[in-house]
Amino acid sequence: MEQILANGFYLGAQYALIALGLTLIFSLMNVLNFAHGQMYVFGGFVTYTVVAQLGLPFIVGLFASAIILAIMGALIEVYLFRPVIRKSKREESTMLLAAGIAFFLDAAILLLFGEKQRGVPKIVDGVFNWDMRIIMPYDRILIGVLAIALIAGFIAFMQYSKAGRAMRALAQDRVAAQLMGVDVDRYSMIGFALGAMLAGLVGGLLVTITGINLGMGGPTSIKAFMMIMIGGAGVISGAIAGGFILGMMESVGLTMLAAYGDITYLAIFASLMVFLAFRPQGLMGKPWG
Amino acid sequence: MMPILQIKNLTKRYGGLTANNDISFDVAEGEILSVIGPNGAGKSTLFKQIASFVSVTSGEVLFRGKTISNLAPHVVARMGVVRTFQETTIFKSMTVRENIIVAHHLRSKASLLGFFLGSKLARADEAAFGKSADDIVDFLGLEAIRNELASNLPQGHLRALGMAIGLATGPTVLLLDEPFAGMNHDETMKMVASVRRLRDERGVTVMLVEHDMPAVMKISDRIVVINFGEKIAEGTPAEIQANPRVIEAYLGSEDAAIGM
Amino acid sequence: MTKTNLAGIGVFLLVVFVAVPMMIAVSGRWDFYYTLTSVALLSIGSAGVWLTFYIGRINIGQGAYALMGGYVSAVLMTKVGVSFWLTLPLAGLFCAVISVAIGLPILRLRGVYFAMITLVLTEVTRLTALALPVTNGAKGITSIPLPGALTVFGVPLIPDFATIENPKLAFYLLAVTLMVLTYAALWRIVNSRLGHLCRSLQQNEELASSIGVNTAHLRLLAYAISSFFGGIAGAVFVAISQSIYPSSFVVTDSVNFMLYCFVGGLGFVMGPMLGTFLLYFGWDLLSVAREYQLLIYSAAMIALMLVLPNGVLSLFDRREGPK
Repeated sequence: MEQILANGFYLGAQYALIALGLTLIFSLMNVLNFAHGQMYVFGGFVTYTVVAQLGLPFIVGLFASAIILAIMGALIEVYLFRPVIRKSKREESTMLLAAGIAFFLDAAILLLFGEKQRGVPKIVDGVFNWDMRIIMPYDRILIGVLAIALIAGFIAFMQYSKAGRAMRALAQDRVAAQLMGVDVDRYSMIGFALGAMLAGLVGGLLVTITGINLGMGGPTSIKAFMMIMIGGAGVISGAIAGGFILGMMESVGLTMLAAYGDITYLAIFASLMVFLAFRPQGLMGKPWG
Repeated sequence: MMPILQIKNLTKRYGGLTANNDISFDVAEGEILSVIGPNGAGKSTLFKQIASFVSVTSGEVLFRGKTISNLAPHVVARMGVVRTFQETTIFKSMTVRENIIVAHHLRSKASLLGFFLGSKLARADEAAFGKSADDIVDFLGLEAIRNELASNLPQGHLRALGMAIGLATGPTVLLLDEPFAGMNHDETMKMVASVRRLRDERGVTVMLVEHDMPAVMKISDRIVVINFGEKIAEGTPAEIQANPRVIEAYLGSEDAAIGM
Repeated sequence: MTKTNLAGIGVFLLVVFVAVPMMIAVSGRWDFYYTLTSVALLSIGSAGVWLTFYIGRINIGQGAYALMGGYVSAVLMTKVGVSFWLTLPLAGLFCAVISVAIGLPILRLRGVYFAMITLVLTEVTRLTALALPVTNGAKGITSIPLPGALTVFGVPLIPDFATIENPKLAFYLLAVTLMVLTYAALWRIVNSRLGHLCRSLQQNEELASSIGVNTAHLRLLAYAISSFFGGIAGAVFVAISQSIYPSSFVVTDSVNFMLYCFVGGLGFVMGPMLGTFLLYFGWDLLSVAREYQLLIYSAAMIALMLVLPNGVLSLFDRREGPK
């Protein structure tokens, strides 16, 4: 049991970090970023390139992922989403654009990094063993701790920095924030960059454990969607809760349902549907419609 | 005679907040009854509760002796209690005539499959709806904008269209949500005349929620006044104008004077 | 229906049933049959997605129903020995029934919430196909027989596909016929009361229920029809490839169905067909670019969004609504 909880917690920390970026972008611009999973994969490949190809330390790779993805996010917001949002009649148009960007990033990853599964050497060796009750390699523990630290850092940033407060105001009420003098364009860009950066960072973290490949983008986006539906779209605490809940469910499901074949996700989806039937806005989302 | 609508001890609480508390009154068949009250008095919640767009915490609404509270809104509409909307709630990308035709949904005798296959009954329905829609257009004086796209209409016409949509369902009781808001004097008087003719010529019972005091005084047979979620007075326009509690409620608020 | 409309339909039928086969025979580009058959089948799926758009829901789950329909047909044919022609409507009905069960909770969701959960549905369907014994997991179901002969009351309507000299042409004609039927049904839906009510739902759900429309039922009905189309498309795909795997329809396919509708334009019955043709045919033509295929394709799509954010057909008509 302890082992299942520990696995769930470790998974949940990664998931929460991915969901945070997605929910941030959603709350600021009402854009469902289909390309989130691809950004995650891109981040993983950047870290891989820096660490495994160039032979630089892991932390440099992580920084490189963060910076490159942040720049990519900012450019995507300014040159793609902004004009389309301005011109289109329906907000769904952004969905088509996001899907186009997801395909584009897939193509770019294929051309730049190829389709092979890539990984970097272990950053720490050894296995933590608590009486055979919890067995976990040290590198997983390190990555889990890093992820939690990043989540804490993100919350602190949103809570206490000027940009964080401005973005929260923007997420609350775009028009009101504009009237209060928040530079909407500027903070939309920063928010998108930050969201993309988070995706890239998780990619960088996980490349050390599970490695990375081209096909991971889509499924990652899907998991992130599930998380923000559980927690409530556009709510930071909801994304964190959704991430940990999904991580836990996955960990429990993989163990308990192993006898019945790989039906964990069917079970999770069925419970998600039942849950949404009673609470369509998710755990912490605002009621709508 | 049994009242057509009975509002009995209607209460709505949102968490700890009480939007309206223990409100009771009756609406007689064929009358025009207005509900007034200062801003935030709970009129809007009351209105939505009667049309069953909002659930009731306790109490009930009876239509011809049968409870309609907490039913789905479309079921209540089917029974004959139909509401209109305050703002620009119309089918924006349909023309005026299309809006009214669609609203005839409740009157169709043919099934959806019948319409799909173009059965005899469906064609008869379609012809009847077209004619009825034209009648309503004439009735409300909307001839000039019959084929105009609803999204292009000015405010005043939108409200008339909203009423036309309500009328097309063939209601027994029509609930009008602030039908005179945002209208100038002439438009208001035209609307007042339309509502009266609705009752006189089509026998529709009308209940409305409104701010515009002169219009309310002119149009209503009876008036119910609520304040802070409670009913404070009920009576004819003359009685209401003389009621000290009503005057106090209005003077005590920032709302416009009671307009006598 | 006006005379121009009728003439347009006549020309369209002539092109797909006569001109295309003739041109393929003359040019010898037999490979176009496969492409155009796919376009026709995918358009059937997109027609369903378009109908859910018509009630104001963004459906990114059509891949799930195509996969389900494919498996239903495959399992019935290989394990029960049912004729393909009977599995075709059964696959559609199966999807319609499932979609009602799934739709009951999820159709209450709106906007991106509905979009997200339908997308998740596609992935979950794939995982279920991997896990269930009846679908044979990752190995899928293979060596599915070609459609047999169809006889009604002793009258042979369709010959056994295995005995046909040119099955490519036969499948093309089958797919195109189904597509024409689908779009005729869709056109009828949109231009009958059902369509008007769907439009009322799309534009304002509260107002629709105030005029007595049972919005929950109507949504389920539209979603069930949509899923029926998806199931049919999937079943024919299986008959063509004679095999099905959990990865036969994935998230990308669901997204593509949605894109076909967007690109064609959401206000036009023929929008999804045009969108499917443009994107799928375009994708096929781009195969000459080899490894740059996806890059060019996606770049073109992004460019299209920047230039025409409201769909290709918005070029011709600014007004929303059925044509």
